[in-house]
Amino acid sequence: MKRIILMAAVILMVAATLYLWFSNSGFANGEGLYLGIIVLVLVFAVFLLVRRIKSWKAGEPQEDELTKKVMVRTAALSYYISLYLWVFLLYMQDRVTFDKDRLIGIGIVGMAIIFALSWVFNHFRGVSND
Amino acid sequence: MTNRIKELRVKFGMTQEELAKKVNVRRETIVFLEKNKYNPSLRLAFDLAKTLEISVEDLFSFDDEK
Repeated sequence: MKRIILMAAVILMVAATLYLWFSNSGFANGEGLYLGIIVLVLVFAVFLLVRRIKSWKAGEPQEDELTKKVMVRTAALSYYISLYLWVFLLYMQDRVTFDKDRLIGIGIVGMAIIFALSWVFNHFRGVSND
Repeated sequence: MTNRIKELRVKFGMTQEELAKKVNVRRETIVFLEKNKYNPSLRLAFDLAKTLEISVEDLFSFDDEK
């Protein structure tokens, strides 16, 4: 239950930050894309939250050995791919005019997307052997 | 690695949810086990064998060809 509350709190904080950011400053050029990507990541977080709530209601453990293994593999894979993302971004920085805030923003959002995709990959593939 | 979890679960008239609750895992884990997409820990293997009233050796079989 603690984890459900914690996760819900983080999702609410991110959603509130997004709302404040875009309601105060409006959309600048290209920010619609950022908003879309962050909303996608939020939707993924809500999906995980709903899964946990369903398990909690069904009296199942929210985490078991398979979910932990999937999470460990997801963390490892997404870390590995994220290294390439940062190398690519640093390579691009020398060739395209990027301000540093934008570079860090793209990096962080990219890492979140890579994590979500890695989770989907590992979850549906299963952990065949260890 | 293959197993007889589905066969024995059906024989005992259990649903995946019921078996999952008995061995304290999520239903998804039972789904993956039955599809041979996941090899359980030793602890879970023994819990499953005990619940399905069979020995671990008879519940799981190892295919040496891979």
